[in-house]
Amino acid sequence: SVTQQGFNRLWGNNMESYDLLQNRNILPPTKIEAPSINLQHAFVDAQNCSPEIFRCTLTKIPETKSLLDKSRLPLGILIHPFKDLSQLPVIQCNTIVRCRACRTYINPFVYFIDHRRWKCNICFRVNELPDEFQYDPVSKTYGEPSRRPEVKSATIEFIAPSEYMVRPPQPAVYLFVLEVSRAAIETGYLKLVCDILLAELDNLPGDSRTHVGFITYDSSVHFYELVEDAQKPHMMVVGDIDEIFLPCPANLLVNLHEATDLVRELLMDLPNKFQGNPEPSSALGAALQASYKLMSSTGGRVTVFQVTLPGLGPGALQARSSGGAKDASPLLSPAIDFYKRLALECSASQIAVDLFLLNSQFADLATISGIARFSGGCIHHFPDFHVASKLHEEQLERCFRRYLTRKIGFEAVMRVRCTRGLGIHTFHGNFFVRSTDLLSLPNVSPDSGFGMQLAIEENLNDLQNVCLQAALLYTSSKGERRIRVHTMCLPIASNINDVIVSADQQCIVGLLTKMAVDRSQASSLSDAREAFINVAVDVLSTFKATQNMGGPSGLMAPHSLRLLPLYIVALLRHPAFRASSNVRIDDRVYAMCQFKSLPLGALMQSVFPDLYPLHCLTDEGALEIEGKVIPQPPRLQLSAEKFDSKGLFLIDTGDNLIMYVLRHINPALCRVLLGAPSFEAIPDVMYELPVLDNLDSERLRAFVTYLQEIKPYQPSIQIIREDSKYRSRFLQYLLEDRSESSLSYYEFLQHLKTQVK
Amino acid sequence: EFLLQNEERDGIHFTWNVWPTSRIDAQRLVVPLGALYQPLKERPDLPPVQYDPVLCSGNACRAILNPFCQVDYRAKLWVCNFCFQRNPFPPQYAAISEQHQPAELIPQFSTIEYTLMRNQGLPPIFLFVVDTCGDEEELTAVRDSLQMSLSLLPPNALVGLITFGKIIQVHELCSEGVSKSYVFRGTKDLTAKQVQDMLGIGKVAPAMPRQQPQQPGMPTMMQPQAQQPQSPANRFLQPVHKCEMSLTDLLTELQIDPWPVSQGKRPLRATGVALSIAVGLLECSYPNTGARIMLFVGGPCSEGPGQVVNDELKQPIRSHHDIHKDAAKYMKKAIKHYEGLAARAATNGHAIDIYSCALDQTGLLEMKQCCNATGGHMVMGDSFNSTLFKQTFQRVFIRDEKNDFKMAFNGVLEVKTSRELKVHGAIGPCVSMNIKGRAVSETEIGLGNTCQWKFCTLSPSTSVAVFFEVVSQHTAPIPQGGRGCVQFITQYQHSSGQRRVRVTTLTRNWADASSNLMHIGAGFDQECAAVLMARQAVFKAENDETPDTLRWVDRMLIRLCQKFGEYNKDDPNSFRLPDNFSLYPQFMYHLRRSQFLQVFNNSPDETSFYRHMLMREDLNQSLVMIQPILYSYNFNGPPEPVLLDTSSIQPDRILLMDTFFQILIFHGETIAQWRAQFYHEKPEYENFKQLLQAPIDDAQEILQSRFPMPRYINCEQGGSQARFLLSKVNPSQTHNNMYAYGGADGGAPVLTDDVSLQVFMEHLKKLAVSSTA
Ligand SMILES: [Zn+2]
Ligand SMILES: [Zn+2]
Repeated sequence: SVTQQGFNRLWGNNMESYDLLQNRNILPPTKIEAPSINLQHAFVDAQNCSPEIFRCTLTKIPETKSLLDKSRLPLGILIHPFKDLSQLPVIQCNTIVRCRACRTYINPFVYFIDHRRWKCNICFRVNELPDEFQYDPVSKTYGEPSRRPEVKSATIEFIAPSEYMVRPPQPAVYLFVLEVSRAAIETGYLKLVCDILLAELDNLPGDSRTHVGFITYDSSVHFYELVEDAQKPHMMVVGDIDEIFLPCPANLLVNLHEATDLVRELLMDLPNKFQGNPEPSSALGAALQASYKLMSSTGGRVTVFQVTLPGLGPGALQARSSGGAKDASPLLSPAIDFYKRLALECSASQIAVDLFLLNSQFADLATISGIARFSGGCIHHFPDFHVASKLHEEQLERCFRRYLTRKIGFEAVMRVRCTRGLGIHTFHGNFFVRSTDLLSLPNVSPDSGFGMQLAIEENLNDLQNVCLQAALLYTSSKGERRIRVHTMCLPIASNINDVIVSADQQCIVGLLTKMAVDRSQASSLSDAREAFINVAVDVLSTFKATQNMGGPSGLMAPHSLRLLPLYIVALLRHPAFRASSNVRIDDRVYAMCQFKSLPLGALMQSVFPDLYPLHCLTDEGALEIEGKVIPQPPRLQLSAEKFDSKGLFLIDTGDNLIMYVLRHINPALCRVLLGAPSFEAIPDVMYELPVLDNLDSERLRAFVTYLQEIKPYQPSIQIIREDSKYRSRFLQYLLEDRSESSLSYYEFLQHLKTQVK
Repeated sequence: EFLLQNEERDGIHFTWNVWPTSRIDAQRLVVPLGALYQPLKERPDLPPVQYDPVLCSGNACRAILNPFCQVDYRAKLWVCNFCFQRNPFPPQYAAISEQHQPAELIPQFSTIEYTLMRNQGLPPIFLFVVDTCGDEEELTAVRDSLQMSLSLLPPNALVGLITFGKIIQVHELCSEGVSKSYVFRGTKDLTAKQVQDMLGIGKVAPAMPRQQPQQPGMPTMMQPQAQQPQSPANRFLQPVHKCEMSLTDLLTELQIDPWPVSQGKRPLRATGVALSIAVGLLECSYPNTGARIMLFVGGPCSEGPGQVVNDELKQPIRSHHDIHKDAAKYMKKAIKHYEGLAARAATNGHAIDIYSCALDQTGLLEMKQCCNATGGHMVMGDSFNSTLFKQTFQRVFIRDEKNDFKMAFNGVLEVKTSRELKVHGAIGPCVSMNIKGRAVSETEIGLGNTCQWKFCTLSPSTSVAVFFEVVSQHTAPIPQGGRGCVQFITQYQHSSGQRRVRVTTLTRNWADASSNLMHIGAGFDQECAAVLMARQAVFKAENDETPDTLRWVDRMLIRLCQKFGEYNKDDPNSFRLPDNFSLYPQFMYHLRRSQFLQVFNNSPDETSFYRHMLMREDLNQSLVMIQPILYSYNFNGPPEPVLLDTSSIQPDRILLMDTFFQILIFHGETIAQWRAQFYHEKPEYENFKQLLQAPIDDAQEILQSRFPMPRYINCEQGGSQARFLLSKVNPSQTHNNMYAYGGADGGAPVLTDDVSLQVFMEHLKKLAVSSTA
């Protein structure tokens, strides 16, 4: 009934169902928002944690394991704990109020028995409140405990007193480890990286204690001694890579402010130093061991630029191939455990290793990525990088600038607690699991996300809701020990309908990708692909069963999961999971690494990019940000069917903004937007939007700049003509259309229909 | 007379100048037939001959045309005086006649030097290996000396720099911008190949990919030449004129070894691996090219291969007593390490100098073979900041009148003998090249089994003892009136880079010992004999495990006296020695008391240093070492040499003693008192002032010219430093007139230590005339 529908809408329980075969234009034209969490009773007004930070695949938790199993939906959470936030309450207090039994931080979802006592929402223990908790630091008055920021905000940060420190907070230490073998030098990356570093040196997060150091390596490892009163840096080459050692006891990591002149001189000289370097191989393993030795007393961040397959010394790798076999699954797993073991040592010493891979040949990312994955580092991949390519240069520059200047947390640990009855069993992301629920994160970055799978271990039917709390303890770049706490509260569902309706399809995709990566490595790629298809079949079958709808007609999907089949079509064509053998193994592995660590927003954009028409931008529905009007064109399904041959389209994949100019574009549009008199006059590929003095150009630039700026890593722009040799860069994202090796979305639906029982 | 002139000219002395005709007779002379030869004696008068020597074509002879060859000027033939092969002169000698002779045939050119015009060799190479574990003052001093040396080197000389402490750094020179060094762990020895790989020697930069496309129709010759890849070792060894600036910068920024040293510890100093890397670097980049490794050490090696002591200060470095008790834990292994390096360096023609400046020992005992085998210098001082070191180091780079260094490189000495002779071996700063030939004796003295020796470096004073065997049997002696010939051929790299050959040819008469012993005896050179016996004794002491060198010296002396003395059996008073033997027993007396054979008063490093010098210096310097010279200064006349005897110590005398290693001025009691009362500052005692000054001036003259600079001691009667004098003089006026026939195993006569010369002589006489000895 209409009232029922209205009620359900109000409570976020959209009970509408869709026949997917009939509703091909299922994608809403606007951004897909996370489903809201609806708490009742005491917490109906409480602010839950932002879905951009904390999300669960189900916004209502099934009260029993069997109910969950019946839904055949995955249960898990995605968390983006160190996300850049514009508003974050920060508290400095003598006592951080925590449950005496389970150490949960007090949060908006606890129950106050009276003014002096609160009941823990994780373990249900009753705790005393300290007197000072009555004091509201914002209004500087005494009163209700509920006025405290800890109780008002589901995300909060504490400045930790000394008992939260194992040792005095360490300074920010940055070590840059750069491959300088012949192939590396020939890409021209070194000068670019040194120039960016020079420009951003003053913007590195830190304080007067910040330390930096540099290592370069080819077949040997080179250290740079920066003695304060020396006239110039001194480079020390260690050729004994099998037993690497530090060539001097000090001055390899130096105070950035005291040695800034030397550091600058070094960065200016480095590219020349290796011009024409004949060394063909690289000893990455030895360079990493050296980094470990250098940093082990302080911890910090190691930034590695690697170009070739490391062929020498410890951790040396050989080119491996699938031998033509279609299933390259063994290549997805590490060849040796050297990098993982070293990463664990690094982790124990609070060192994170970040990897920038700029390879054009096989570099065995599956193996070397271990150094970043287990040390809490991050991975960036620029395949076929050459500085002569404007696109490459720009991408690396944007990425590296953001990387250098973004916020960073050191010596971090993250613990996720959940209400008794729930259990966390599998973790996804880059870290090391130190104890059952404690993740060791030597560095934490605002761009990394994590996933965890949940199990229902006890019946939850006497609870109103459950809580999950993530606490991230870290040292800021200014040497403060801080704790960031996120708490999410979810209601309980007692029937299958509620469960299905509460599903968060994007979060499910986020979790599924992580599980599929594990499955690809543990079993095979085809298993992982099959699992995706099965999820779609299961979901639709379950829904069909709950609807009690017999009969042959249609392929029905609930509102909450209506996009899942579309996403799965996209996933099956994503480089991570594509069946084709022409995906290079490192590209595939990188895509998989990304799935394990990207925050959900970026992950979804990578799975299912946004397609916008640009030829009809208007101010209708536009956003206004800081006085600037930003048009909001509708999102289109990823199909050539949507193309207007006179148009101009944009695909936003998160990493790239690719504009596509159709052959019959209106010449006037061509002129005002691209500054070219006609389609033919547009270059094969452009990397910049011309700045033209007209309203349409302004609108277009406002929109494109907006798309760039809302992302942590600003994507670069390419403008490609329909007849350009580069057109496949754009066309590959038309994921709903049939391709040589994949079904179209419609064909996929028809296949599903045959499977759904 | 004539002989002396020739000796002077040829730089050679023989123990015997008339040679016995049979093997048995030669053996009975007691002192072996041998020569002390100075291959590169300074000869400003020698015209540089700018052509190649003419070689005998005789089967495996290859002797060089010399003034003793018979020449048939009409037939243009010459007869080899070693193998009697008749050789035609080469075409360019077509114009020779009795009036028009090439230099090598003129008798006064029994020594001649050829410059080989074929190859213009490389300039010399100097590789500095610097210990940075010392304090700031020591490091500054080394740095200043190195800096100074750069100005003394020819601009085209190649130099390199290695520094070490706990780790070793090989510095790249001429690097622009960031300076660069290659670093090695001090605990791990590396082969030359490993050093080469780790230094990236032999790897060449790829051709620049962005080459201009070939223009069609352009002749190939006009194409720009592909850039010649830099010789890979160039990064570490650069011509002085190219790298002086960067080397100066490097030296200026040289830091003390930065590794922390805790209380009670020695710094970790990896001398062994540093030297190994230096040897390896030269081995892989400039084999068989003249080079010097100059090692500066300020303490003992305490880390890695070549370690001589550990880093616990409470653990002192080994003494002679420790060695005696076989308690020198690291010694044998270390010696093996350094001997290995010495052998490699010598094979490649590279010399190793060790400049050791420290208050304690640095391990010269273990490292000595590096200098001894390669001809390199060993210099021992207390501090790099001392005049002794600074002056000595400066003197390494001394030049001759033609402004060439007085050092030569990568030399090979070959000895050729006429058929009646063979070579036992050689003792000197060289290694055997293991070249066997007709002239090689089966019995070895010194380094034998070869007729060629490698001298990685040579200075004008470098002297080698060569021992000869007379091969003719007694039953078939050489006919009287014949002459034996010896030819010394020294090929070397001159400091200008030229390849040169110095040839000395000489002949001596044969004499039948049974009928002409007097004649042979008259040809005895007691000074040369003393030096050769000293070398032989030290060689035995160094190489034989047995400690009976002293006994051997005594036995040889007694037998010589028996052979050439005139006496009635068992009547010591009747004993007389010919004039040209008369000093020999004294030399032996002082030799057996000297620091060369009596080691317990010195450290093992000192012993090694003293012996090192004895094994290389020329005749006169060696004699000073064996028997120091004592001069007396007093008011009664000009200074005069006096007996090295306690009786020479008088209250009104000033003595000047030269032991080669020390220059000592000793003020007698009265002189010392006057000086203490400042008489010399009063105008009326001007003559006293002059008397005080005279020995100082004379001492200065010696100090200024000798290498290495001696230790200068100024002392007086009763002063503690007077012990240096008292330990050298003959104790004639002490109470030690007791002696005994010693020796636990009985039989052989042994003289006890520290008896006076008089007592020693009396005993010698007694033993010589004894019919039982
Ligand atoms: Zn609790
Ligand atoms: Zn001949």
